[in-house]
Amino acid sequence: MNRRNREWPIALALAPVLVLVLAPFAWLMVSSLKTEAEIGQGAPFQWPADLMWRNYADAWRIGGFGELIGNSLMNLAGVVALTLATCAPAGYALAKMRFPGREWLFYIFIFGLTIPIQAIIIPLYQVLFGLRLIDTLTGIVLAQVSNGIPFGIFLMRSFFISVPDELVEAGKIDGASHVQILTRIFLPISLPAVQALIVISALSTWNDFFLPLVVLISPDIQTLPLGLVRFAGTYASEYRLVFSGTVISFLPIILLYILTQRRFTEGLTQGAIKG
Amino acid sequence: MRLDDTPARGRAAMRPSGTASRDTLGSALLLMAPALALYAVFTLLPVALTFWLSFSQSAGFNTGAQFTGLDNYRKAAADPIVWQSLRHTFLWLAYHVVLAGGLGLALALAIARLGRSGVFFRTAFFLPHLVSLAVVGVIWANIYDPFFGLLNTALTGLGLGAYTQGWLSEPVLVLFSVNVASSWQGFGLYMLLFIAGLQNIDPALYDAAEVDGANGFQKLIHVTLPGLSEVMTFVVSLAMINGLKGFATVFVMTNGGPFYQSELITTYIYRLAFQAQNHGQAAVLCILLSLLAIAITIVFNRWRARLAR
Amino acid sequence: MFKQLVRTAALAIVIAASSAAGAQTLRMWGPEQITEPLIAELWNGIKAEFEAANPGAKVEFIPPTGTISNGAVQAAIQSGVGPDVILTNSGIGRIAVVRNAKQVLPLTGEYEKRGWKDNIYPWLYSELQRQFGGEIYEVPDGLDALGIWYHKDMFAERGWKIPASWTEFAALMKAMQTAGVQPLAIGPRTTGSAGHLFGSLLQAASGREAIGKALRGELAWDDRTIVAGAVRLRELVEADYIQKRMAGLDLEGASRLWFSKRAAMFVAGPWFTANARKAGYDLANAGFAAMPSDIPGETIPTGGVGWSWLVPVNSKQPELALKWIDFVLSDAVMRKRAQHSASTMIYPRELKGIEPATPVLKEIFAVAAGGVGYNPSVYLPGPVLDTYFQVIQGLISAQLSGEEGMKQIQAKMSEAK
Repeated sequence: MNRRNREWPIALALAPVLVLVLAPFAWLMVSSLKTEAEIGQGAPFQWPADLMWRNYADAWRIGGFGELIGNSLMNLAGVVALTLATCAPAGYALAKMRFPGREWLFYIFIFGLTIPIQAIIIPLYQVLFGLRLIDTLTGIVLAQVSNGIPFGIFLMRSFFISVPDELVEAGKIDGASHVQILTRIFLPISLPAVQALIVISALSTWNDFFLPLVVLISPDIQTLPLGLVRFAGTYASEYRLVFSGTVISFLPIILLYILTQRRFTEGLTQGAIKG
Repeated sequence: MRLDDTPARGRAAMRPSGTASRDTLGSALLLMAPALALYAVFTLLPVALTFWLSFSQSAGFNTGAQFTGLDNYRKAAADPIVWQSLRHTFLWLAYHVVLAGGLGLALALAIARLGRSGVFFRTAFFLPHLVSLAVVGVIWANIYDPFFGLLNTALTGLGLGAYTQGWLSEPVLVLFSVNVASSWQGFGLYMLLFIAGLQNIDPALYDAAEVDGANGFQKLIHVTLPGLSEVMTFVVSLAMINGLKGFATVFVMTNGGPFYQSELITTYIYRLAFQAQNHGQAAVLCILLSLLAIAITIVFNRWRARLAR
Repeated sequence: MFKQLVRTAALAIVIAASSAAGAQTLRMWGPEQITEPLIAELWNGIKAEFEAANPGAKVEFIPPTGTISNGAVQAAIQSGVGPDVILTNSGIGRIAVVRNAKQVLPLTGEYEKRGWKDNIYPWLYSELQRQFGGEIYEVPDGLDALGIWYHKDMFAERGWKIPASWTEFAALMKAMQTAGVQPLAIGPRTTGSAGHLFGSLLQAASGREAIGKALRGELAWDDRTIVAGAVRLRELVEADYIQKRMAGLDLEGASRLWFSKRAAMFVAGPWFTANARKAGYDLANAGFAAMPSDIPGETIPTGGVGWSWLVPVNSKQPELALKWIDFVLSDAVMRKRAQHSASTMIYPRELKGIEPATPVLKEIFAVAAGGVGYNPSVYLPGPVLDTYFQVIQGLISAQLSGEEGMKQIQAKMSEAK
């Protein structure tokens, strides 16, 4: 009872905090609708005389955002698909199969969790170069998936461990191979884990900057964050373009989040807790 | 899934059960082959090669590398920027844990007490987390512009012109300023984790505390915070590991400057490897970074194990 | 001599092998500001003429994503899908980086074979020969001349004039400050821009000869004669003629201050016309003068080779690349570029009877005709450059004294030898 009465003061106290936290977004969006001269006045509370929606059209065209978003989407699709394809079977094997060296293999995978990508980037670049995968979508997908395998395996394994062994036994009695047990029995009931893995790998791939910075050289294959930084650097003197381009670069995912809000949050929390 | 359930079940599953048949390594490898192949080529191999690189010298990707022993390590130890970037990295971790972790905790504590409006606040506060750190860098670099940026012009507009600073030029402020941007992006996830953790605290404990006459503050200290201890440890370790990976915001906003005042280990690695083409020394820093990450992980795993007892 | 023969032979073999290919596309990295409509117009014209003169050849421009200083060129060459010919910021320091990483072809033989050595200023050719013991890896495209850009209307209104001596210049800046105008704007996060201001100060304080000696390693950077320039930069910061806060700005952030007339002066080169156009600044109002010096005869712009052509070792069209360079060096093309309103630099040989379309360019050419000093950003050895630029940031953010900064640069210079 007490708590319900005290909801209003808390909400009231949170409101200014929210304003402060979201202020950068608000300022960015208002400024993106100003003319270059208005931006140059440096008056943050000033509303633009005319709403320059043109800035968005120009930024989109000049910055090639359509292409950037396309590249990011392909990047994301590749990573999510490959991550699921590699981590689900491996997680199952480590959780439900008993074989010599199982614990050792698990620790080898977990080792990757501690290594930041910057620590292996030089030879990773050389490996990709040797395989002629620099500046290709394949190259970056492989590198990103490999980077995400430790976490993905940990997640799937944790989930599968909590599934009763009896299901495996039952499958074996029916004469099914492990692959069949995995695909026909375990995966269908793994929605929470799969959802978590999808949300986490999708978000981290979409926003990845460091690997694309190193691997993707040509402007026509670059992904969104990298593209925006280059765009902001090249057109730095046209702030109206930089601002509107920046808004374009985060608007899609924010809209997606608002629409699928619960799944997103659940996925992230589940994933992080398991991890 | 309650946090406390998993360890018990995990332990039970790992104990070999009497009736289970054993599988062959081969059949297991079949399932693990794709993951193992990718991981070996794109993670394990580079780890090994980094090690070797740190003992060699090369001028770039096209030139050959010669074994030079501990030369690179000696040079790194003598390089003042290495130590500076190490110090900055520790500071960065501390800032990140306090700013992002602290904000996440404070907001979670507030939001957990709300009903429907809690969902709204939770959604709204999470928005910054969706933005790529690189894009965050572009946004905040403009916010911090000393002459036209949001922060200084807003302060001036509110009559607080005396408080304007060179946020990205003042040596004392620059690392902190960049970290504020990074933490602004980061706190959302920690907030969610704390909210989940708070939901897992048994309400009966609160009722018991009330019966004992505890007020709000005492409930916080004696029920909430202890109940959150495992999540807090987890969040701190996660924040530290994320902090170690920090790169994009610094790279975009200051590129380690002015005069190395915001240089982190990660940005120095990039500078050495890709701008100066000095791979041997960069590799030494890579090893350093890995050792730090491993140390943090070990320390926190031990801590969590101790807490679980 | 033998090495030269071997290298020329290697180049010949590479060229022969690739000429066997059919319809050829030349991928060119650059030009820098291709996104500017005027510059695009100029270069598309040049491209069309080349394609017409070389049937079967196509030219494709790759908009640069950076320079050698920030690793973008190296990354592009390294990627194996990069350009066949490159136009980028040069100077011995930057060229050394790509040369040491074995990313660019030596072009020494071509200077003889194709007569390039007669197509550029003789002093420029000797300069290039001196850099790598006779081996030349670049073909200069344009020279830079850096000095002070100021607002003609602002100066006329207040009766200001860029003086000829440093002492008067300091007094001018004081007057500007009293009048409530920021004397100088600088954006040191863009390393090139940091070097422009600092190079000009060094030049004005110590003179061409001393700086030349320091760049060749004959004079220490922390020698009393050279330190003066660094000390002056600190003095400008102490007097607030340059604000400490500018340390975090890049070229665009700083030039914004100048275009909006909050700052009176900005150190830049002829390429600044493109920036001005983008910002909508009326170029007729721009004036140019060299950094004043107390040393007689040293009130000259600093500069050097600004941009050069490079041929990557893995260029898929080396023969076509050389043809292209020939073409760009030809009289017809050079005159066309010099007369175009998008012209942004000084050309590597004397062009008689050229009237630049933009008035401020005329001023720059006139000032530069009296001689150009050495911009250290162009002449410093590769490994020293990063420290050099960081020291400038350190000076502007008041973390270092002039002496300390120069000591650091000298330390790197001795290492680099």
